[in-house]
Amino acid sequence: MSHPQVLTARMTRHPTDSHKLERYGATGGYVHARRAMDMTRDEIVELVKASGLLGRGGAAFSAGLKWSFLAPARPAYLVVNGDESEPGTFKDRQLLERDPHQMIEGIIITSVANEVHEAFVYIRGEYPKPARRVQQAIDEAYAAGYLGQGIFGTDYDLDVTVHLGGGAYICGEETALINSLEGKRGEPRIKPPYFPAAKGLYMMPTIVNNVETVSNLPHIFEMGVDDYRALGHADDCGTFLFSVSGHVKEPGNYELPHGITWRELIYDIAGGITEDRALKAWIPGGASAPWFVPEHHLDLEITKEACGKAGSMLGSGAVVVMDETTCVVKAAERIVRFFSHESCGQCTPCREGTTWLEMILRRIEDGSGRRIDAELLLDVSDNISPGLAWPPKQTTICPLGPSAVSPITSISLYFKDELSQHLEHGRCPLD
Amino acid sequence: MSLWPPDVQERAKELIGRYPDPKSAVMPLLYLAMRQDGYLTETGMQEVAGWTGHSPAQVQSVATFYGMFKTEPLGKYLVSVCTSISCMLLGSDAVLESVEDETGVPNGETDADGLFSVEHVECLGACGGAPAVQVNYELVEGSTPDQARFLCRWLRDDRPETVNTDEMQDRFGGRRSFDWAIAEVDRAIGPFPAFGPYGTVQKGDE
Amino acid sequence: MTDLVKITIDGREHDVPAGELVIKAAQDHGTYIPRFCWHPRMKEVGMCRMCLVEIETPRGTILTTACTTPAASGMVVHTASKTAKKAQEGILEFLLINHPLDCPVCDKGGECPLQDQTVAYGPGESRFVEEKRHFEKPIPISDLVFLDRERCILCARCTRFADEIAGDPLIEFKDRGNYTQVQTFPDLPFSSYFSGNTVQICPVGALTASAYRFKARPWDLRRVESSCSHCTVGCRIAVESSQNDVLRFNGVDNDATNQGWLSDKCRFGFEFVGSENRLRSPLIKVDGEFREATWAEALDVVADRLGAIIEEHGGEAVGGIGGARSTNEEAYAFGKFMRTVVGSNHLDAQLNDGLDARFLAGVSPRAKIGDLDRAATILLWAPDLKEESGSLYLRVRHAVQERGAKLVVVHPRRTGLDDRATHKLTYRPGEGPALLADLAGGEGDYAAVLETLSRGPVVAILGRPGLTEQAELAEAVAGFALGLPDAKVLPFVRRSNVFGALDMGVAPSLLPGRVAVDDAEAMAQLEAVWGPIPTHEARDTLGILEGLALGDLKALVLLGADPVRDVPDGFLARRGIEGADFVVAVDLFLTDSSELADVVLPAEGFGEKEGTVTNLEGRVQKVNRVVAGPGQSQADWTILDDISRRLGKPLGFASAEAISKEIADVAPAYVGVTWELLEWDEKEGAIVPYGEAIQPLTYRLPAVDRKALEAMSRRPSRGAFALHLARTLYDDGVLMRNSLSLQKLAPGGAVHLHPEDAGRLGVTAGALVEVKTVDASVRLPVILDPSLLSGVVYVPFNQPWTPSLGAALSVVIAPGKEVRA
Repeated sequence: MSHPQVLTARMTRHPTDSHKLERYGATGGYVHARRAMDMTRDEIVELVKASGLLGRGGAAFSAGLKWSFLAPARPAYLVVNGDESEPGTFKDRQLLERDPHQMIEGIIITSVANEVHEAFVYIRGEYPKPARRVQQAIDEAYAAGYLGQGIFGTDYDLDVTVHLGGGAYICGEETALINSLEGKRGEPRIKPPYFPAAKGLYMMPTIVNNVETVSNLPHIFEMGVDDYRALGHADDCGTFLFSVSGHVKEPGNYELPHGITWRELIYDIAGGITEDRALKAWIPGGASAPWFVPEHHLDLEITKEACGKAGSMLGSGAVVVMDETTCVVKAAERIVRFFSHESCGQCTPCREGTTWLEMILRRIEDGSGRRIDAELLLDVSDNISPGLAWPPKQTTICPLGPSAVSPITSISLYFKDELSQHLEHGRCPLD
Repeated sequence: MSLWPPDVQERAKELIGRYPDPKSAVMPLLYLAMRQDGYLTETGMQEVAGWTGHSPAQVQSVATFYGMFKTEPLGKYLVSVCTSISCMLLGSDAVLESVEDETGVPNGETDADGLFSVEHVECLGACGGAPAVQVNYELVEGSTPDQARFLCRWLRDDRPETVNTDEMQDRFGGRRSFDWAIAEVDRAIGPFPAFGPYGTVQKGDE
Repeated sequence: MTDLVKITIDGREHDVPAGELVIKAAQDHGTYIPRFCWHPRMKEVGMCRMCLVEIETPRGTILTTACTTPAASGMVVHTASKTAKKAQEGILEFLLINHPLDCPVCDKGGECPLQDQTVAYGPGESRFVEEKRHFEKPIPISDLVFLDRERCILCARCTRFADEIAGDPLIEFKDRGNYTQVQTFPDLPFSSYFSGNTVQICPVGALTASAYRFKARPWDLRRVESSCSHCTVGCRIAVESSQNDVLRFNGVDNDATNQGWLSDKCRFGFEFVGSENRLRSPLIKVDGEFREATWAEALDVVADRLGAIIEEHGGEAVGGIGGARSTNEEAYAFGKFMRTVVGSNHLDAQLNDGLDARFLAGVSPRAKIGDLDRAATILLWAPDLKEESGSLYLRVRHAVQERGAKLVVVHPRRTGLDDRATHKLTYRPGEGPALLADLAGGEGDYAAVLETLSRGPVVAILGRPGLTEQAELAEAVAGFALGLPDAKVLPFVRRSNVFGALDMGVAPSLLPGRVAVDDAEAMAQLEAVWGPIPTHEARDTLGILEGLALGDLKALVLLGADPVRDVPDGFLARRGIEGADFVVAVDLFLTDSSELADVVLPAEGFGEKEGTVTNLEGRVQKVNRVVAGPGQSQADWTILDDISRRLGKPLGFASAEAISKEIADVAPAYVGVTWELLEWDEKEGAIVPYGEAIQPLTYRLPAVDRKALEAMSRRPSRGAFALHLARTLYDDGVLMRNSLSLQKLAPGGAVHLHPEDAGRLGVTAGALVEVKTVDASVRLPVILDPSLLSGVVYVPFNQPWTPSLGAALSVVIAPGKEVRA
């Protein structure tokens, strides 16, 4: 079954030059930014709200609503979050490398809607090639008068600066990103009071939007609210980019509407499990998400609501598939190690707790697990994410701590036996 | 008093000018500093502090927070092997081992000749092309233990001045996350991200 | 006036200011919520997570940090619910997994918030069986502070203090996550003047002070609150001693003055109290050498010699210098002694390094330190506060950084507050009056500055930026400043209790209680109690020393003063003291001055006596006795009383408290200020004139007169530089000399030159040059200082092993030969 392409349409049709202004202009580009300049701020915000566009960075918050929270103080800033670092996610990379102009046009629309004259595109430092493509596109846009002083011949100034990250996943958290942009350590801020819309970059009102979110804007303007909504599924409007990786035959980015099932995604679209082995589990929404298992979740619809009800999240749309050859303890340890490594270190439960969890899992992997470790893992996790509930509560400043807990609750829930075998026999049953 | 050559000082001024607050330019300037010395030295950090208005302790604090500002001498080639969940599932641990073995450099270290630095890293955003490797932050997707060995051997034997992602991918890569489609002509010149405004790239002709 | 809202904490309703942090509101109403990173004087960060509490909201009960939650009407807080308790236990367990089991050898044991909160809120045991994080322990991060990173719980109190409060971001987190550590930059130690505060606020034993390490356990210490006597702020301190040794000062939060902080000079400047160099017995000079004597012997000599001189030449042949290091009671005794026993008006508590005494005592309206927080604009034309009064510097910094005050700094070189200044005006010493004329006229570039200054309320902190500058300049500036909208002045001189001494009349122009000597009515009232007071022309310190040198004066009484080192014209001081027929010095140590005396009498010093002191606001505070003075030392007032008896005119003082009661009767501005008042009612101190007391002295300030200012301006002689001579926090002052930890921190003698001037002279940094004035020639190394104007050199005053340059404005630099090893 083929699904409509919106974000990936141009790059599919014009693979060798979809990144060039010439191609972008020839395919209807920058017309919508121009149109937005003749609309009022309220008109644009209402349009975006009506479109139902949800943030594509993982939080899935209504973009239009976010914009409407912008406090009145000026100057206001726009920061595009290109710090894509959630394990399993590589969709923004494709957008940045292959079709940067659609994001830039989206930046113009967002800026005009929010009275922004300085926008920053924060791209993770490990993405120099995407950054180069974006910079090239920005240079083209400046040359064409779409950016800079007096864009489109009006008296509206808009500057866009690419800022390279330094290798820290936590900078993907919007307030940490803002701190990073201010020249500080990328540490998240406490919210309240530091909601970016009120006190963001340099303590001024700031919009932080994901690359994919912003890239949707020209298309919303192009097709109109109704058609855009129709593309999606109920409240999950538009299309989503899913990054599928792990033990599948056809890993890659897939632009899909919500509403299909996991079975369809894994077996039809991603080609099924490598060497036709058995599916053991998959992570539905990036390393922070609790796992799904074939016994319970294969025929679940891929929607924000269904996923939430089942105790997980779609997050950034990163699907990591694990087959029967996967040791779940090792997989969990690898994920927990990621969070421990990426912890900013500010708050006690994350800094100490994630590392402790990593150490326990490593000890179990090395064969020195004890029976009480099963309970210990959960109790330490409970001190990071009280109640081990979903959506998670946190004793921490930001959700990174509770993210580390996801694999622990997942293996405790669905792979109790395999974990026990590690603890009782000191080795992996798969060895 | 700046110790940087005039052209680098110009670049520093230009970068600072892009932000409302000079302090925001600390990260770009740290890359400038790495470009000068091959890694981030104490002098480099002090130089950056002079430009941004941070104290040296603050620059050190920011620099060491991020994984890519390395304060120990680096080799000509920084070989980074992703070992996050997707790459691990596809065998990246064995790729790392073969890199360590072929270069003789254990994870996290640099060899005495200053040729290789080897590290395992977290998710590079190349999960569809796992296992993923970077040389000086230029990507090679779909690596294997053997291919990684050949890559290291080539680096050691041919000593390319600069590296290019397409060339390395064609010779030593495998499955990609998605169709790269567009030819990439720019080249990395050292163990820091190649990016025009930071003066860290060798631009190619298209 | 903030509104009050009702909130419920653990079932009990309280009225708290709207928006106040729940952690503080709870504390103020008797509920202690455990915490590490929160400090009432710093911004909340919510990092340690120890203060997690449950709060009921319309969206359900949330678990959140009390330190980041502002109180809102109807809020219901549970600090000890099952969830909150589990969270608190969890946090402590997390903190303890890497914390080393150092308690038996850790300084903090016994006063350790981590220990205390673990007992009260923590789990019974740790379940961590893996290996703890290791660091080399401990490492010195400065001469005064050690850091043990294994003990550190990464609450960031120290790094936040260094940046947010002190403005010295020399320590910061390094690396991230589990590898995070506090660090300095290599070869840039934590040499902040305020580093000791981090030791006090560190909630574990990660930061320890080299001056106190391994010296005592808190439960062995006796603790008495007092007022610090190093500078004229009079910070509230806790003096802690064990077995008659003062071991430590800690800052105490007095909202009116230091708000809990101390400069390192104050904090570690206690070692002089127990120094082995303290004078323990009276000394009499025989054949050029001192020998020990009994009190009886020594006092007899004093009475004989002084008595003889008074008889032959009159009381006016005797001068008295000192009193700024004494308590108010002792200073009062000194004034009464000189005027009624000796019969002399020649007395001065300043050392020709301050300002007109009537100005200091009488300028009005005088600001309170707290006015800084309400000021729209602050004018700072004074010595570099970071060097001369750390606490006042912190208050100005806070006002500008947190309260939005705009700061105008006027100074010959860079100061610690330049980074916070809206305007910085640099000038050449001597040319201050010309600058003032231009500023007042608002010409050219000064228009913007004047505009800033024209936004009231204005607080003007005024003093003498350098010792070669005209003392009248500060008064001229005050005259200008008081013309600004809603303006008040805070006159600044540095030394200890100089304001108290002047208020007690230890000045040629003043009588006790802020009375001018030419106030006939007040004089009459005083004479009714004291008896007749001499009316001859009174000399100040400079006049006394000149008189002694020329033979017009014959004798000198030094009361805790070291003119040879502290009077800028040290040569005159030496000539004066050497020229005297008889000198008696009352002091704690043998100093360059008391070395030259005929009789030296050992005095009790800070911490060994009880009394009051007055700070630059006119705030009277208590100093308290904690230890006994060494050997046979006595209080100043007792010594003077004994001498007065032998001279046949007994002062008749029974005790220090009795003196304070006499002051409260006799000194108009001090009426009503008793020790009882200070101990029970006015815990922040009492500002004089207190209550209904009236201060007779009002000091008229000159209006800005361009002609007069031009006449006041001075320039160095042709071909010479203008000398900026100013103090540093650590120097060779006698108390610093005898405080081992701080003695070595004085920067040492040097001459700072603008790089252009250095270039013209052909000298580079580090080269030795001859610095010549009319009085002296001293060889000093060059430091390049672009913050000076060309034509100005800066030499730090009173440095170890560095001779005096005198007080002249003109200085000539001659390149010396490079010293080759």
